[in-house]
Amino acid sequence: MEQGRRVNGIELLLVDDEKDFREILVKRLGRRGFKVGALESGEAALVRMQEQPVDVIVMDVKMPGLNGIEALKRIKEDHPATEVILLTGHADTQDGVEGIKAGAFDYLSKPVEIEHLVRKITQAQNKIRRFRAAQQETEFRERITQQMVVAERLAALGTMASGVAHEINNPLAVIQDAAGWLQQILAKPEMEGMARRADFEKALDRIHKAVQRARRITQQLLQVVKTQTAELADPAGMTDVRLRELAEEAIALVEAEASLKKVAIHLESRAPHPVAWTDPYQLLQVLLNLLTNSIQATPAGGRITVSLQVSVEAAKIAVQDTGSGISPDHLTRVFEPFFTTKGVGQGTGMGLYVSWGIIARLGGLITVESQVGQGTTFTITLPVKK
Amino acid sequence: MAAAPSNVLLVDDEEDFVEMLSLRLQEIGETVLAASSGKQCLEILAATEVDVIILDVKMPGMDGIETLEKIKQAHPLVEVIMLTGHGTIESAIQGMKLGAYDLLLKPADFGELVEKLNRARQRKQEQMERIRDAEASKP
Ligand SMILES: Nc1ncnc2c1ncn2[C@@H]1O[C@H](COP(=O)(O)OP(=O)(O)OP(=O)(O)O)[C@@H](O)[C@H]1O
Ligand SMILES: [Mg+2]
Repeated sequence: MEQGRRVNGIELLLVDDEKDFREILVKRLGRRGFKVGALESGEAALVRMQEQPVDVIVMDVKMPGLNGIEALKRIKEDHPATEVILLTGHADTQDGVEGIKAGAFDYLSKPVEIEHLVRKITQAQNKIRRFRAAQQETEFRERITQQMVVAERLAALGTMASGVAHEINNPLAVIQDAAGWLQQILAKPEMEGMARRADFEKALDRIHKAVQRARRITQQLLQVVKTQTAELADPAGMTDVRLRELAEEAIALVEAEASLKKVAIHLESRAPHPVAWTDPYQLLQVLLNLLTNSIQATPAGGRITVSLQVSVEAAKIAVQDTGSGISPDHLTRVFEPFFTTKGVGQGTGMGLYVSWGIIARLGGLITVESQVGQGTTFTITLPVKK
Repeated sequence: MAAAPSNVLLVDDEEDFVEMLSLRLQEIGETVLAASSGKQCLEILAATEVDVIILDVKMPGMDGIETLEKIKQAHPLVEVIMLTGHGTIESAIQGMKLGAYDLLLKPADFGELVEKLNRARQRKQEQMERIRDAEASKP
């Protein structure tokens, strides 16, 4: 702790081989509100940067062993964002110039005038703050762009998938009625003594079940596309929904499955009566999809937390689990139709695609964060009534 | 009362579908007529007594809605059930406003179809009886 402290989140370090000079400077900077860590050599500074990097370094050039300029070069290699202010000997501009070329923020010649040093440190800190803000903005923009890319790809996939679903529905109806007709014939009294009757019945039953399965898939696909083309949900279905009650209902519906797997589900709500402007039935369907996924991904003893949050702008529902997590290359694909890591008959990969479609139609947003081996959080953001 | 011969008319451009559904309905004792277009449907109606029409919303040429309007103009007592895919539910609902009795989502469950068919037929018979009663009580 004594080696460098945070001032507004920006850490400051002084490196100088002269003990007295170090102690005086630390004290004087301290009086002006700067908390400074201090080290006696370039080597020590390098070690420190590996273990616990700092943001601003004030460093003497003339030191035994590794000199300030060499230390600066090595620090800049691994930590280009760290700013270094060099202290040079009196009238030794050559060192200063070389330092600037090597990437120093600036240099001051000894004896150091404290006000001057304070000004330089402040400038370096401001530069770092601006850099961090820009970095955050870039990250934010990248996230939004990524979301838009995902949304566009889903829309394109949806158009294609619904075309297929449409075309398949008609032959499916023919298969269903052809099999149904045979079943009707088998049920006639005059067919009672028919040879291998049980085999026919078995095969027809399988056809019937397979058609049911295919129908469920085409219906889900068409449902999502319908939500895409209809832009926003029909306002008739929208109402003020008490999220706590809805979440409790969803949890009750999956409770049996969860306790069978020995997974506990908790509901947390900061607001006493969180309310969103939405369609309760559709939102329930989404919650059930998310909870089912979490239960399936979470080993025994794990925990699922549903948390509710509201502000003046939006309501948030997060479903967090301590399950297997999702690898980064899968993370961008989980919302795609038919994307599944589950075996045949276990999952069709439609749950999240349908959920995404529903939430988009409700004027909301659904996002995911995950860490392999740690768990996954899906967050739904919904509008509130203004 | 003698059971009046009751005709069901299936209208859909998908021929295999019409054929299979007809066979199933015949198997349970229905008399089924089939048409593969709106035009053909109207021709059959002009020549034959029909109680209930099962009408596809989406057909090339004259579509289900247009066909429905023409049916209701010429034969207001015939009951119509609209058959619709997911993409055409709005049209089917519009059909209900234009006087269709009910709608069925494709691919329809046969049991549900038969149930709706029976209810539509019953309503038609009740309407006919009311008209007969009214005519009988005329001085
Ligand atoms: N909470 C979660 N933890 C870990 N992986 C998840 C989680 N939720 C979803 N996934 C991953 O995303 C995939 C897609 O999920 P989705 O719900 O769309 O389909 P599915 O669960 O596989 O099948 P279906 O929901 O159609 O039964 C899953 O197969 C799984 O790999
Ligand atoms: Mg799922």
